[in-house]
Amino acid sequence: MKRHGANREQIIELLEHEGGVTEQSVRKVSAETGVPEADIWGAGMFYSLINQPGKRVRVCDGLTCQMMGADQLVEELKEAGKEVERVICLGQCDRAPASLDETMNLVTYGKTTHISPQDPELPMNLGGAEDMAWSALTKAREMGPEAVIEELKLAGLQGRGGAGFPAHFKWNSVRQQVDQERYVVCNADESEPGTFKDREVLLRRPHLILEGLAIAAHVIQAKDIFIYIRGEFTNEIASLKKAVAEAEAMLGDVTVHIAKGHGAYICGEETALLESLEGKRGMPRLKPPYPTEQGFRNKPTLMHNVETIACVPAILRRSGAWFKEQGRTEAGSKLYCISGHVNNPGVYEAPLGITLDELVELAGGYDGNPNSFSPGGASSGFLPMKYRDLPLDYKSLADAGSMLGSAGVVVLNDTIDMAQAVSWQLEFFERESCGQCAPCRIGTQYLRRQVHKYLETGTVDSLKMTGDVSWEMEEGSICGLGMVAFKPLQTAQEHFPEAFQKRNGKH
Amino acid sequence: MNEIIGTGTFEIELNGKTVKARMGETVVEVASREGIDIPTLCHDPRLDPAGACRVCLVEVEGQRRMQPGCAWRVNEGMKITTESSRIQRHREVLYGLYQADHQLDDAGLPVVSANENQLRSLCEKTDVVSLEPVEAPRRGRDHDVNPYIQFNPDLCILCARCTRYCDEVEAVSAITLAWRGGETTISTAGERGLLDTSCELCGGCIDTCPTGALIEKKAPPLVQLQAKPVKTTRSTCNFCGVGCQLDLHEQGGKVVKITSPPVGETLNDGNLCVKGRFAYDFINHEDRITEPLVRGEDGELHPTTWEHALQVATQGLAKVREEHGADALGFISSSRCTGEENYLMQKLSRAAFGTNNIHQCAAT
Repeated sequence: MKRHGANREQIIELLEHEGGVTEQSVRKVSAETGVPEADIWGAGMFYSLINQPGKRVRVCDGLTCQMMGADQLVEELKEAGKEVERVICLGQCDRAPASLDETMNLVTYGKTTHISPQDPELPMNLGGAEDMAWSALTKAREMGPEAVIEELKLAGLQGRGGAGFPAHFKWNSVRQQVDQERYVVCNADESEPGTFKDREVLLRRPHLILEGLAIAAHVIQAKDIFIYIRGEFTNEIASLKKAVAEAEAMLGDVTVHIAKGHGAYICGEETALLESLEGKRGMPRLKPPYPTEQGFRNKPTLMHNVETIACVPAILRRSGAWFKEQGRTEAGSKLYCISGHVNNPGVYEAPLGITLDELVELAGGYDGNPNSFSPGGASSGFLPMKYRDLPLDYKSLADAGSMLGSAGVVVLNDTIDMAQAVSWQLEFFERESCGQCAPCRIGTQYLRRQVHKYLETGTVDSLKMTGDVSWEMEEGSICGLGMVAFKPLQTAQEHFPEAFQKRNGKH
Repeated sequence: MNEIIGTGTFEIELNGKTVKARMGETVVEVASREGIDIPTLCHDPRLDPAGACRVCLVEVEGQRRMQPGCAWRVNEGMKITTESSRIQRHREVLYGLYQADHQLDDAGLPVVSANENQLRSLCEKTDVVSLEPVEAPRRGRDHDVNPYIQFNPDLCILCARCTRYCDEVEAVSAITLAWRGGETTISTAGERGLLDTSCELCGGCIDTCPTGALIEKKAPPLVQLQAKPVKTTRSTCNFCGVGCQLDLHEQGGKVVKITSPPVGETLNDGNLCVKGRFAYDFINHEDRITEPLVRGEDGELHPTTWEHALQVATQGLAKVREEHGADALGFISSSRCTGEENYLMQKLSRAAFGTNNIHQCAAT
């Protein structure tokens, strides 16, 4: 790694090489890069994997891990004399509870994961063999950029990261920019609680991702591809690096850069990711301008989630119309993660619009008596079982006051106290708020405190102002985190009012 | 008021009224010219807009979300609303959240330190919702022994004006936002005291802080200052030749604080350096020379008039020239002099005494 003359974009990685943020490491990195010490300190302190140097076990506090006894695991580890830190969802919900040991190796305590059986008729086909010849890229080069975008439009491909924004709009928008310096950025910072689909694509089909990115680079005429992958994904990073080495001939003059995240959920937000790539604190930017206009290094940037970009090769190989038909209520197949109280948690590729009952059938049935489910990550809140036949697609879930998000479905049976489940989700948002804007920074603290107070005292008065605060978080926050961080509480209060009645507190 | 003319101007609708605007202007800039008050906290015209405090949110037709007026650039035909029930409710809850994260006085309002607290002023005008405190775990730097600048995290709203000012205006980058979420605070590398950083102690962070979280260590509490009459005198800083304007605040016959005139009013545009802002103790110092002195036959200095003092100096210089030639004289002027004064000094040297031995202490 180039050290002297290194620039700001490398400071976080240099800090990691130095073992984390300390006065000495900051001074050294400042001398090497010329970036002021305070800027390095401020950026480094943002990231939980480096801001407190030292060896410790990191235990996941995602919803599923909490349900499966993460608290008990923490106690056991502490009794064994380990130093323990609670961290955001490690993306191992299918084998919860999960942790990273002192050397960042994954240790899971739950079941083994499942994926859909190999089937060449599935666009993603996680269990299938990789196409090492990259036939879709060859086809894309023959078709030309306009035809590729037209095929994406016919496919009806929506962003799989959570927003569901039509992909072809972004490709077109970048192509229309005057500036010819353009970038492709792949968001592999999967850290939405309950979500582990990108993990499986990264492990099993890294060539699908790289081929999709190469097609994107060809279409928007970019020379550099950046893959921002969460630092906790040790095995996935290795898988990706191996594939990049294998793909050297196909990539030609396009360079793939792998950038590691360092423990900040908010960096999954596209503009926070860009800030992080530029060596800064992962604080979301004001939008507009959008990344397609001013993204990485303020240049036009095409950004996609792992799953979205991995859909592209199949669309070009088989056709957009074929891909669209793989969906039921909306276009294409979708990787659904399912965890919690089901028998065979895992990643299942199913038609977009499958219902919960159908999905759980794929996952071996319910474990116990289901009471609620969270359809798409922490921000999607909780829905009652009356929605078990609702199509799990972008529109239907939005109409139900929730969202498909990342399709990280978590099933909760009747052994879970809904108010407790809400507090787990609120703790997560409080910890992961970037702190930039007051509605989110203070709002997430307020909601978590009041729900804790309710659990401790059992008095409903604790929650009387949470509606006003939630309204302001949605209206006033800069980015999507603050705008939805109240959803677990709001949806649970709406659908499970009995869980928020006066009750006996813990004390 | 500036008249809007020339190319790149167009009309927009502001609160139902058609007004003119320039390409590239923000909503806050147009509104300010039109006499419409949009509250702001993180906005400082010297800095790039951050849109972080969310106080200035306005409604823009066609936009689902409210947008920050400090950052939103106007376009032809744009329709903007700065007062509505939605905006009002937003302010009532937002200020409530700020109060839940702020040190409050007995009246339940944000406290006032040595400097004004604009958050308090906003809260006083608003029917703020009352929320229980969140007790954010923000850290200060109590160990910082620098003589001038004090940071109180309990009054900080994390608008980042200070850190952005330090970077964008002073290009010093001594302070930074550190940590994340509720723990976010204003910090330095290694949480060191400012004397051990690149800080030049200009105090611009104090000047830009909207809530009095950053204050002059030497300054009295604002309530104390306001309890008795204060005389404010606009003056020119005499530490160098730049000519920064100062406002000297005097109470009980002593200067108790120096501030810069407001941004945009004088050439220093709200900025001062460590000397201008903090080095005023000499004004009331007992050793300060306040009248001309001439050494007498007894070897001691005696007060005199300017006429007599100048006469003595002239005679002395003329005597050296007569006895040893003009080049036995040398003239050194001070970097505290203006360009004009330095010009006169070399004129004195070259024309009046006939020597090129002229130097200035800032020259090398």
